[in-house]
Amino acid sequence: MALPTTPIENPKSFGASKRWTLPNKYKLFLMALPFLVTTFIFYYLPISGWIYAFYDFTPGIPLSDTPYVGLKWFKSIAQNQTQMEEVLRVLKNTVAMSTLGIITSVFPVAFAILLSEIKSSWFRKIVQTLTTIPNFISWILVYALAFTLFSVDNGVVNTILIKLGFIDEGINFLATNSNIWLTMIAWYWWKSLGWGAILYLAAITGIDQELYEAAEVDGANRFRKIWHITVPGIIPTFFVLLVLSIGNFINNGVDQYFAFQNAMNKDSIEVLDLYVYNIAFANNFPFATAVSMLKSVVSVMLLFMANTLSKVVRGESII
Amino acid sequence: MRLKKALIVMLSIMIVVVMAACSKSNDKSNSSPSSSAPASSSSSTEPSASESASPSDTGLDHSKTLKLTVFSTTANYAGPQIGWFAKAIKDKFNIELDIVASNLTGGDTKIAAMMASGDMGDIVIWGDDKNNYPNAIKGGLLLDLTKDGLLDTYGKDIVGKYPKAIEKAKIAFGSGNAVYGIGNNVASNPSGPSEGKDMTWGPDLRWDLYQQVGAPEINTPSDYLPVLKKMQELEPKNANGKKTYAFSLWSDWDGNYKMTLAKQFANMYGYDEIVDTALYTKADEEKYYDFLSDESWYMKSLKLYFDANQMGLLDPDSLTQKFDDVVAKYKDGRLLFSWFPWLGAANYNTEENKAAGKGFQTVPFNEEVMYSTGFNVYGGNGIISIGAKAKDPKRVMEFINWMYTPEGAMLSAGSGTAVPNGPKGLTWDIGADGKPMITDFGIKAFADQQNTKIPEEFGGGDFYYGQNQMNFSFVVPAEVNPETNEPYDHNLWETSLKLNPSKLESSWREKYGVLTAKEYFVKNNKIAVAPQGFTGKEPLVMDKTLEQKNKLIGTVIQQYSWKMVYAKNEDQYNKIKQEMLDKVKGLGYDEVIAFSIKKAEELYEARKSVK
Repeated sequence: MALPTTPIENPKSFGASKRWTLPNKYKLFLMALPFLVTTFIFYYLPISGWIYAFYDFTPGIPLSDTPYVGLKWFKSIAQNQTQMEEVLRVLKNTVAMSTLGIITSVFPVAFAILLSEIKSSWFRKIVQTLTTIPNFISWILVYALAFTLFSVDNGVVNTILIKLGFIDEGINFLATNSNIWLTMIAWYWWKSLGWGAILYLAAITGIDQELYEAAEVDGANRFRKIWHITVPGIIPTFFVLLVLSIGNFINNGVDQYFAFQNAMNKDSIEVLDLYVYNIAFANNFPFATAVSMLKSVVSVMLLFMANTLSKVVRGESII
Repeated sequence: MRLKKALIVMLSIMIVVVMAACSKSNDKSNSSPSSSAPASSSSSTEPSASESASPSDTGLDHSKTLKLTVFSTTANYAGPQIGWFAKAIKDKFNIELDIVASNLTGGDTKIAAMMASGDMGDIVIWGDDKNNYPNAIKGGLLLDLTKDGLLDTYGKDIVGKYPKAIEKAKIAFGSGNAVYGIGNNVASNPSGPSEGKDMTWGPDLRWDLYQQVGAPEINTPSDYLPVLKKMQELEPKNANGKKTYAFSLWSDWDGNYKMTLAKQFANMYGYDEIVDTALYTKADEEKYYDFLSDESWYMKSLKLYFDANQMGLLDPDSLTQKFDDVVAKYKDGRLLFSWFPWLGAANYNTEENKAAGKGFQTVPFNEEVMYSTGFNVYGGNGIISIGAKAKDPKRVMEFINWMYTPEGAMLSAGSGTAVPNGPKGLTWDIGADGKPMITDFGIKAFADQQNTKIPEEFGGGDFYYGQNQMNFSFVVPAEVNPETNEPYDHNLWETSLKLNPSKLESSWREKYGVLTAKEYFVKNNKIAVAPQGFTGKEPLVMDKTLEQKNKLIGTVIQQYSWKMVYAKNEDQYNKIKQEMLDKVKGLGYDEVIAFSIKKAEELYEARKSVK
């Protein structure tokens, strides 16, 4: 019924008449529909869960039976000095991890350029495969690996260090608070360097080969070519990803920090997502929902700020 | 053109099919309520007819395999139940169990996620009856066992033998008439300590090494440290050349407000925590102390571990390892102290080691007053429930009921706390004189559970993983079996106690002049039995706001406890301690204490009911 009624001029010559076709715009819409539906289901539908922030919700009991409490949980984020300090500590960790992440986001760029400069193709492929694989290992398994490598008692690293005589007693690498941010970012890039480079490699492939040839004619050496052709060629990609990662500034994710957290490093490792996870799933859904609502608002604001900045600085925006 | 026709045909077929499907499902939903009523009534009349023929046979059809999902908050194993227990229930009821263990998948987190999902599986096992269990009842996640006469028809043995357990379930959680779950460790007689041969706590030391250092007298828990140090010096490395430690802790059982391994000395002084509160209370007196006060053995234990760490007695991997790693270390002979008989002795005292005089034995300190749980006619705080969406509640009920009968109890009484008896005819049997006795295979299996292969006809696998992995003790193992007039627990059988003691056991018995650890504590009056009563009222629960504060405080205490243990020096220790005290105070510790005191008063009232 929603379909447009195409006038059929002559019913008798039904078969011979112009073939009826769905207008292109509908075709395209239908093609996109599955993705729109998916997006709706996974990104917009969950927003309805925000309602839990306004109730004293307990898992298992239907919302209709739970008391409405208004903004109680929003206020409780900062209701007393100690809790305020907790939230500030968590925010500090979040900002620190994200800032480190953004600063180090040039790593995959550099890695992609270096990779593309390797002449021997089998070697390049091996390196790329080996660096991409860790991306598919879950953080829990990464932690298991870390435990076998770094445990004090039987860890490979400590055993080697002791056997070589560098240290007398094992060092507890995992249960320590020193350099924990750097350690975390190192684990992060160990896992995702190869994966992160894929987009840049694609961008590099897209650069016109004639530019390189022309540069060669002009006598440019390898570094000149990288600096004046490759780098400008992938800068737009880099900026798009940068703006997106600024939008994700306060979403550090849970997995990595969940796996690596322990009593010693918890103070510095507990990012906002993990804090929400620790509190909420220790039985306080409304509070966690309130925090994540605020988080979404801040994320959207940050994204638009970054976009405006990009417009002003580079004259291009992505949204 | 042809394509278009085909499309039209297909479209019309689809419309027809969809319409048909709709109308069909309409039919179904219309008819199902009406048809289900006679079905249930007919099935409930059917068994009652057959009951008169043979009371034990409930007349249920077992021809179809029933796969049950067991969500257990206490299990330490996840996956399908295997081995001899699986075989026994498969043969008897054609039931297979698939265990989901929250302990292995995020603890409280997993419980909350399961509750939020609205489906808790077919059988639900609760470690305690606080918060989650009442919430699940309120949320309609659990089945009322009184509905359709489920309990009366298929749970006869429970109703008949343990009526108090049903009474408590009704009053405390079922607003007077519904039963949503049945307690664990149920008993039918109400006095004396309910433990088996061993108590829940030790402490146990490596007996051989303790003798070698001259068996010095021990008055308080801190006296263990110098003794353990000497023992460590005597055996600094195990047979494989790996370092030995006195204590090896694990953090994956932390929760409920505490670092799990810092409460055991309180238990050895006759105190125990009231779950989810900040108080420890005496077993047989109306006395309590604040968790974080200086007299609290929680705080004193942290100091003890701190000292142990300074002396090199504490495993440096304690914070980052898991429970299984610790078990492996006991097996390898790398640890010298055990809080629990079921940890050190169960893993290190192999026949081989015992014959050589090596092994863990209880070495009590003079001030010790062992906390003991009395026999509980109302059932313990662990609860077994049937999920609201359970597949075949009748057969599930029938199965649960059987676990409370002598037959079920002889198979696996004490699951999780004691070594179960295993299948009759394999590990034990009834002797010519009518008394139960352990077979030679049984002796081997109980001593070396993980390396004893079970014959295929009994289910295969090893004895250990073949145990009931739900980790729920239905009947208390020390309960007397009416069929044999001896307790269910094989350790307490007359034939077992008289069995040839090993070099290790005779040495220990000689020194203390008793046969078992339980006998030692009872004989020397070093035991505080907590009467297991019930107030006859609904239990007090925290409101949501206080609960949040309590949880936050709990996580802070856990985190700082570990930091204190691993503090570099005394100054740092005190600094962290002060930091913790300030922080919990800021988070509302005083309110939690106020609630805890009310909870303690409730407990005292309950105890009066069985005095």
